[in-house]
Amino acid sequence: MTQTPDPLEPNLAQTSGPAAAIVETDAAVARRAKEAYYTASQSQLIWARFKKQRAAMIAAYVLLFLLLSGLFAPFLSPYDPNIAGRNKDYLNGAPTIPMFCDSNGCSVRPFLHTVERERSMATNFRWVETVNEDKRRYMEFFVEGSSYRLLGFIPMDTHLFGMNEGFIHLFGTDASGKDIFSRTLHAIWTSIQVGTIGVMIAFVLALIIGGVSGYYGGWIDSFLQMITDAVRTVPAIPLFMAIAAFVPQEWSAEERFFFISMILGLIGWPTLARRVRTHLLTERNQEYVLAAQLCGASPRHVIGKHLLPSFTSYIIVDLVISFPYMVLSETALSFIGLGLKEPVNSLGVMLQNVTSADVLLNYQWYFIPVIFFIALVMAFVFVGDGLRDAADPYSDNNK
Amino acid sequence: MFNFMRFVATRAVLAVITLIIVSLVVFSLMELVPGDCAERYLAFKNTQGSGISLADIENERVRLGLDRPFMERWGKWIVGAFQGEFGDSCILRVNIAQLLGDKFWISLGLCLSALLLAYIIAIPVGILSASSSNATLNNSLRIFSYLGLALPNFLLALMIMLFSTVYFGDTLTGLFSREYRDADWSWDRVLDLMSHAWLPIFILGWSATAFALQTVRALVSDEIGKLYVTAAAARGMYGRKLLWRYPARHSLGPIVNSLGFDLNRIFNELPIVALILTLTEAGALLIEALARSNDQQLAGAIIFLLTASIVALNFFTDVLLAAIDPRVRKSILS
Repeated sequence: MTQTPDPLEPNLAQTSGPAAAIVETDAAVARRAKEAYYTASQSQLIWARFKKQRAAMIAAYVLLFLLLSGLFAPFLSPYDPNIAGRNKDYLNGAPTIPMFCDSNGCSVRPFLHTVERERSMATNFRWVETVNEDKRRYMEFFVEGSSYRLLGFIPMDTHLFGMNEGFIHLFGTDASGKDIFSRTLHAIWTSIQVGTIGVMIAFVLALIIGGVSGYYGGWIDSFLQMITDAVRTVPAIPLFMAIAAFVPQEWSAEERFFFISMILGLIGWPTLARRVRTHLLTERNQEYVLAAQLCGASPRHVIGKHLLPSFTSYIIVDLVISFPYMVLSETALSFIGLGLKEPVNSLGVMLQNVTSADVLLNYQWYFIPVIFFIALVMAFVFVGDGLRDAADPYSDNNK
Repeated sequence: MFNFMRFVATRAVLAVITLIIVSLVVFSLMELVPGDCAERYLAFKNTQGSGISLADIENERVRLGLDRPFMERWGKWIVGAFQGEFGDSCILRVNIAQLLGDKFWISLGLCLSALLLAYIIAIPVGILSASSSNATLNNSLRIFSYLGLALPNFLLALMIMLFSTVYFGDTLTGLFSREYRDADWSWDRVLDLMSHAWLPIFILGWSATAFALQTVRALVSDEIGKLYVTAAAARGMYGRKLLWRYPARHSLGPIVNSLGFDLNRIFNELPIVALILTLTEAGALLIEALARSNDQQLAGAIIFLLTASIVALNFFTDVLLAAIDPRVRKSILS
């Protein structure tokens, strides 16, 4: 892969010939830097500015990591996240962390101790679990397990890790014995999917409504703005709840999933539409548009070559920024039982039962997925903010 | 003065128009629910042992006015809504206004207190952080703001419950102690409410504070860079006096303007926080109406009331702004 030149700090050895580096004067360096700056495309400039923000870059890596772990969730998770993959002997089980050493010495391969369950006269006919410190179960990599389709179409049954016997539960298990680690990974992917569908629907609606409003102006604009403002005044989550209550109980998990994503999009458009309209209204009256029109450019050329590129970066930023709100709304909706339902895994579904005192007091590992979601949302917020700063052409001036 | 009155009147008309559009949305939603009140009512009677026929359902429809056209029923509903009368809930068969009673006012009180708390914290801290170049202060505030965005209030509520149960053995839930739950309003009951309400207010105010901080900080730091501030500094004004008299006053307008949306955001969190902390007020009632019993009359009434209070707040902030901001006042009066 060839490296794209950084327009803010051009690599001089690259831009000039091999011998030219010797005769480089300060003026030439400055000129070349300017040249690189002024000839850089908009995306190059944005990327160069984005790279300079440490927080945003870290967030971008976190985001990439989470996206990949969501995408490859079936491979990374040792078990099926649904009832099929449950460990029925380990309900509400604490996390089992593989170790390298115990009282019997160390091992290169990480291992777990065996838990033995016993029910007999001696235990008063109740199940009693004891950890047998002498029996080890070893962790294995690339094991065969439940079959799945990677990326939705590659049939596979290899999992990144597993145990040679028994189960491993990095984050523990829930009340029906499902592996919380596997569920978390799948839930990340669900959230990303819901967010993407929601953002896309909101975006299309916003583009149409905001576009019409901003392009025609006049009374159409006032009328559409009045409706947009009225819709924006209604608190979104109570409205979500009212609409989500329509979903018939007998709908399948998939139908429910698409319906909920759709609602998120249908309610999320007003903010985006307003931004599209503002962009269009300000850009439409700029001199460069007038100049293009005077040069005889067709409206198609003006819109395609001048107007759209002038605000695509803003629109992308707006989409990234509105993403976490979609994810959070979905989580909130599922949490109160109006959104997604089992067997779909999402954070909201996983948190449904945690408010009981039993869970709060005894099974705190139910809360581990929360950390991942805060990370996901924070990563999106930071990347969105970084992109917004990077897309702002004036941010260079007040360095 | 005449112009001011005209401005207030225009804003009031706009607010009413917004409410009418909202009521259309809410009413259409209520109508879209499969099965109407007559069917539900008679389904209930059926469970009580009396047989019913299609003719009974039709009679019931006529009695409840459900055979009238959509526009007429909507008109009737909105006229009632503006008088605070929402008819009967057909699941609970209780008058909605009675059912809501002071629950709605308690909710509104909680949300407004959260809003107040947010701005009491955000205004001084935001102004301070905008004017200071202390990197540690600014970065920690930035992280706090992002946390406020990323950690939804219901997760915060869950976390607080988790810690309070683990360390104090108390879940800190509810709004009233047992002996005051159904009692009449008295001074003791108010005190009891206060002693429980601080947690929901804090949780509701949490992300509002983060948002408000960001707004205040951005606005003030925008204003600080402007020439009139430099000019004032050149005239010999400095320090706190400069800060409060020029940039802070200028950024007050947009802050007052954004109050309505902050309240909107708080309302968003209200039902879920209410569910977690088992508060017995309108938010919880909304969840009850939607998730459990599918009671559209009640849900519609609550959404309408919530929106109405946002519209009312927007109206008041507009009028307030016109009264306190000389620029707006001038543009109206001239």
